[in-house]
Order: sequence, then structure tokens, then C-alpha cells
Amino acid sequence: MKWLRRWKIQILVLFSVLGPGFITANVDNDPGGIFTYSQTGAQFGYSLLWTMIPITVALIVVQEMVARMGAVTGKGLSDLIREEYGLRTTVFVMLGLVITNFGNIVTEFAGIAGSMELFGLSKYVTVPVCALIVWLLVIKGAQKNVEKIFLAGSFFYITYIAAGVLAHPDWTHSLIATVKPPTLESFKEKGAIFTVIGLVGTTIAPWMQFYLQASIVEKGVTKRQYKASRLDVIVGCIFTDVVAWFIIVVCAATLFAHGFHNITSAKDAAEALRPLAGQYAFILFALGLFNAALFSATILPLSTVYTVCEGLGFESGLDNKFSEAPVFYWLYTLLIALGAGVILIPNLPLFKIILGSQVVNGIVLPFVLIFMLLLINKKDLMGEYVNSTLMNVLAWTTTVVSIVLTLIYVVGLVTGSGG
Amino acid sequence: MLEGSEGMLLLERDLLDQQVIDVHGRKVVRVNDVDLYRDVLDQHPILKIASVDVGARGAVRRLLKGAVPNAALRSLLRRIPPRAIPWEFVDLIESDPARRVKLKISNDRLAELHPADIADIVEDLAPDDREAVFETLDHGVAADALEEVDPKLQKSIVESLDSDRVADIMEEMNPDAAADLLGDLSDEHSEAILQEMQPEERQEMRDLLEFDEDTAAGRMTTYYLSVEFGGTVADAIATLRAFEGGPAAVSTIFLTDSHGTLVGAVPLANLVLSPSSQPLLSLVSEPLISCHQETKENEVAELFDKYNLLALPVVDDQKMLVGMITADDIISFLRSKI
Repeated sequence: MKWLRRWKIQILVLFSVLGPGFITANVDNDPGGIFTYSQTGAQFGYSLLWTMIPITVALIVVQEMVARMGAVTGKGLSDLIREEYGLRTTVFVMLGLVITNFGNIVTEFAGIAGSMELFGLSKYVTVPVCALIVWLLVIKGAQKNVEKIFLAGSFFYITYIAAGVLAHPDWTHSLIATVKPPTLESFKEKGAIFTVIGLVGTTIAPWMQFYLQASIVEKGVTKRQYKASRLDVIVGCIFTDVVAWFIIVVCAATLFAHGFHNITSAKDAAEALRPLAGQYAFILFALGLFNAALFSATILPLSTVYTVCEGLGFESGLDNKFSEAPVFYWLYTLLIALGAGVILIPNLPLFKIILGSQVVNGIVLPFVLIFMLLLINKKDLMGEYVNSTLMNVLAWTTTVVSIVLTLIYVVGLVTGSGG
Repeated sequence: MLEGSEGMLLLERDLLDQQVIDVHGRKVVRVNDVDLYRDVLDQHPILKIASVDVGARGAVRRLLKGAVPNAALRSLLRRIPPRAIPWEFVDLIESDPARRVKLKISNDRLAELHPADIADIVEDLAPDDREAVFETLDHGVAADALEEVDPKLQKSIVESLDSDRVADIMEEMNPDAAADLLGDLSDEHSEAILQEMQPEERQEMRDLLEFDEDTAAGRMTTYYLSVEFGGTVADAIATLRAFEGGPAAVSTIFLTDSHGTLVGAVPLANLVLSPSSQPLLSLVSEPLISCHQETKENEVAELFDKYNLLALPVVDDQKMLVGMITADDIISFLRSKI
């Protein structure tokens, strides 16, 4: 029984280090992400599963760098950009970030509305109620509790793994498709390239870098505890992409197998699942979507205000009272109210808002990634913690690839040639 | 070029967009703009820093300068109220010790603030800057401020400083606070700090470290006032004058017999209101409330609440007085529970 006890201790140690890294990675699977994964599975079956491993590596590389910067400098990413590159650059980045994040927040509330409609609840009830819950959670919950709630939200993604099992996929086939490098053939299929780009774009987003670094700083992680945070980041990224893998697999085993190749939202995917994979798989999928939407609707506004207040020098942080950090709390409130409000306007061209914010996202991302790489290689900032050569090769490759892909994606969106 | 700038304060690099301490507003702020004024030195005109702007006005000016016509910008700026901090209220933070010496950066103005305000400011800084501030403050001020800092940060600050510097600071701290902090550190580290301390203080720390942190003994201080129970008010006042432990520690004077056994407690107010020939035994508060050193913190807090105490004597198995818990210890304890 000794091994059992040791195993238990290791699990406990693992749980104790989980925090900002794990949370940030999980928010990556927001309704927009879930839709992209569902669509990938429905349209291409198992054939694009090979993207999961390189995407996970890229995510780990990028997130590890910001976590390290947070632990070593004790400052947020926007603080560092401000100190090293000045006010104008900062304002420009912040402005872009607010626009693209706002688009994301709208998507999250759309996810809340969609997932609740699956259970027959009207969005005119669910969206305002959820907006209020989200607001209260952060304003009234003490900082320690908020992190616990966020962690619980992260674990709820397990529903997708359960839904995956219920869908009875072809395990051998899917596992082989994950590790087998793609052939040129697989790219010839119509829309495959665009989908791969979409997968990368939904994984590496500007807001995550700011959010992770700020929460590492707020948690008070220092150089000495950095190793634990790195583990937190790595475990988080792997878990996130395991969930993404299952979402693709569910849709591949059901929708793709039965010829439903086109879905227009994550809600669609859940609805199509019901007759194919059964009631339980449907409920798990829909609840997972609701959790993802609610969870990211909480974190994205929070992340946005952190970043903006830090960069522009306003008092920020959940350990402050409302009166001590008015801009911080007001902007938070405003983002939620507007984000939720937009969903309730009848006949609003939601698609255009989201499209617009993704374009801005594509413009902001290169700046953020390049600033990160320049900052992390500054000796006077990072000391002995600057990137190693290997890390730089990995990081620059990731950066260049994601920038190129994102730009192609944006051009595709604007000209309407994709999808 | 780089060498030349080592000994100079560069506006762009060291001030604009950087964090500084607003000593008057008692917080950490980010510099948006710098206001200069003309002065004359040896008949040559020179520019001096008048104030730093930390509000929207400075930010807007720097953002729009060159992008909109000057006249329009000026009229816009007039409408934004300035949030300027006069230069004499600005304290710089420089984490490089060599530059700190060359630029003669000290935190003298910061040091004049209340220790609790210094602690708040320090909590807002990045780790390196925190370390820098604690290296520039003198031992006494650093000790008072460190006591007020959040325990988790206390630990990380102490870990970043040299052991001998920490030992100097800890010698100036309340022994109970210092012992709590030492107890949080790794054994090697706390041993290294103890080695740097004066023998007398080191022994005191070791005694305090023996106690369980969540008992009365773990909370108590050994800085207390005791007088032989046969004495008079005049004797007590004389002891009081010779006492080195700060005003918080003298709210109550304890009476002991020749073995050190606790006999009574006299509130400072009773002492002040009585003629100097009055025997101390006639001034003791009844009943005498004390607690054993193994008493749990919860029960200690209950005693404070029930009897409205300011200070509570702690005794050992033989009823010998070994320490004192004060109301502020209890407030910290209760807050940590919330």
C-alpha cells in the first residue's frame, strides 16, 4: 500500500501548486474555443488531432515565459511594457486589448445565452442573472476564495472528458491520429488550413499573457517559488488541451461520423449530439459549455481591468476596496454590463462584433508576443532568468508561426475567403 | 555613454513611466510627466524639477504632443485638473545598490512616515524594490515597518536580505514579532540569522522559539515592566523611566515577589493619579487576570474580550511571570481569523 500513499501525496502536492497557470490555460477553452474544436471534429473527424501536441507545446512555451517574468520582476506585463517602452506604446496596446477583450466578453455571454437555451431558458433571464453572479463573485468574494472558485470552475471541464467517453469514439484511431505527423494530403481538404489557423488563434491570445503575469504577481510568487508555478503552467496547458482533444473526439465520433459537417455554434454541436450520443452526453456537453462561458465571462473582464489599470497607473487589485480603486472596479462593472447588454439587443449583428474583435486581436497579438520576447531577454530585468538559447529558438518559432497564422486568419476573415 | 549615465539621474530612464513613492500621499505612484522650472545657478540658467505629474493631465500631454496642434492641446490641458506631487515629496526607488550610492538616493522622507504607512507602500512594490527600500532604511525604522508588513511578505523580504542585516533589524523588533518571523523561516536560515545577533538577544529569541506559536507563550512579548510588590508609586515611576520597551508595553505594570512570582497588576492610569508615596499593592486591579503560557490563543482572546484588557500577564507552572500579551497582538490574531 506504500505506493498508494506516495501516489496520494504526489496528487496532493500537485493540487497545492495549481493556481494562476491552471486557471489561465483553462479559460482558453471558452465558448469560442469550444466552437472551434467542435467544428474541427465535425468537419474533419480525427484527421486534425495531430495539431494538439504542437499547440500544447506552443502554449506551454508562451505561458511559461510570462509566469517567469511575473515571478522574477514582481511586475505585470503592462507595467513592464510601460516602463520599458513608454506611455504611447502602452496606451496603444491597452486600447487594442480592451477592444478585442470586449469582443471576447460578448462571445462569453453569447455562450451563456446559448447553453441555457439548450435547457429551454430564455436569454433575457439567464444573461442578466449570470452577469450579476459574475459581478458579485469578484466584488464580494475575498481574493483567496476567488482563486478557489476559479480552480473549481477549471475542474468542471472534466464534463467534456466524460462526454467524450459516452460518445464511444474509436480510441485506437484517434490516438494514432494524434501522434502521426500530418501528410500533405490532409491539407488539400477544403478549409483544413484555415481550421488549423483557427485552432492556433483560439489558443494563444493576448489577454492570457497579461492575466497570467498579473495573477502570478498578485499571488506573490517569487523567484524561489517559481518552480512550482512552472509546474502549475505546464499541468494547466496539458489539461486544457486534453479537454480540447476530447471535444474534437466527441464531435468526430458523432457529428462527423453521421455526416453533420457544418455547425455554426457550440450550441449547435450540443443539439446535434443529443440524438447521436444520448441524453447524458448532451447534458454534459451543454453544462460544460455553460461552465466555460460563465467562467471566462468572469475572468476576461477581470483580466482586462487589471491590465489597463496597471499599465496606466490606476490603483488595481482585488485586495483593494471599491473606494481605493474606483477605476478598477468601475471599468470591471462596465465591461460586464455592456458585454451582457449587447446580447440582449434584438437583431444585433453579433457576428460582426466578434469578427471585428478578432481582427483587432490579430493586430495586437504580434506586438504583445514580440514585447514579451524582448522583455524576457533583458538582462537588467531578468538577471540569470533570461531565456536560454533553446527557449529562445522555441519561443521565436512559436511567435513567428502564430503571428503569421493569425495574420492569414485575419485576412481570411476580412475577405471572407475562409470557413 | 552608459558609464556616464551611471552617476546621473536620467529623466527619461529613471523617472518617466517609472514608479516613485509619493511621501505626502503615502502611496506608490507612476510618473506620467515631469514639470521643470528655470532657476539660476552661478548666473547660468538651469532647469530644475518642480514636480511630477501622476494624473490624467500629464498622460494626455505626452500622448497628444505632436499629434494635435499645440494651441488646442494647451486649451485641452487647462481643463484637466493636475495631480502633481512636489519634488520634495518624491522618493525614488533604485534597486541597484551601486547606483543608489552614486545618486545619493536615500529614503529619508519615507522613513519619517508611520511604520504602518511604510509597510503599505512596501507591499505595493516589486520584490527587488522592496529589498532596496529595506536596505536604505535604518534598522529601527526598518524593524517597525517590517512588523507591520503582511506575514507572507515579511518572510520573502527577510529571505532577500543578508543575514547580518536581518539580524540587525530583528534586534530592534519586538521580540515576539521577531520570534514569529524566525519561526516561519527555514531552520538553516533562522540559525544563520541567530548567529549574527548579539548573545543576549539570541538567547531571548531561542527561548521564545521554544514555544508553540498558537499558545499564549507564542504571542507574548518579554518586554514588560515588573516591580517588587512592596514598592511605592515612586519606585514604579523610576522603573518606568528606565524602561526601554516603547509606550505600548507600559500600559500595565506588574508586581512580583522576590522569586519572580506574579502578585498583581497596576494599570498605568492608577499610577499617574496617585501620590508617589502610595504603596503599589493598594492600586492593583481586582481580580488579577493572568494566563498560563500553554493557553491557546482563542482562550487568550476570550479573556481580553471578557475583562476588557489592554495587557495580560503570562505565567509558567510556578506562577512566575514570563511575558505579556498586549491588545494589539490580539487584534492581529483576530484579523488573521477573518
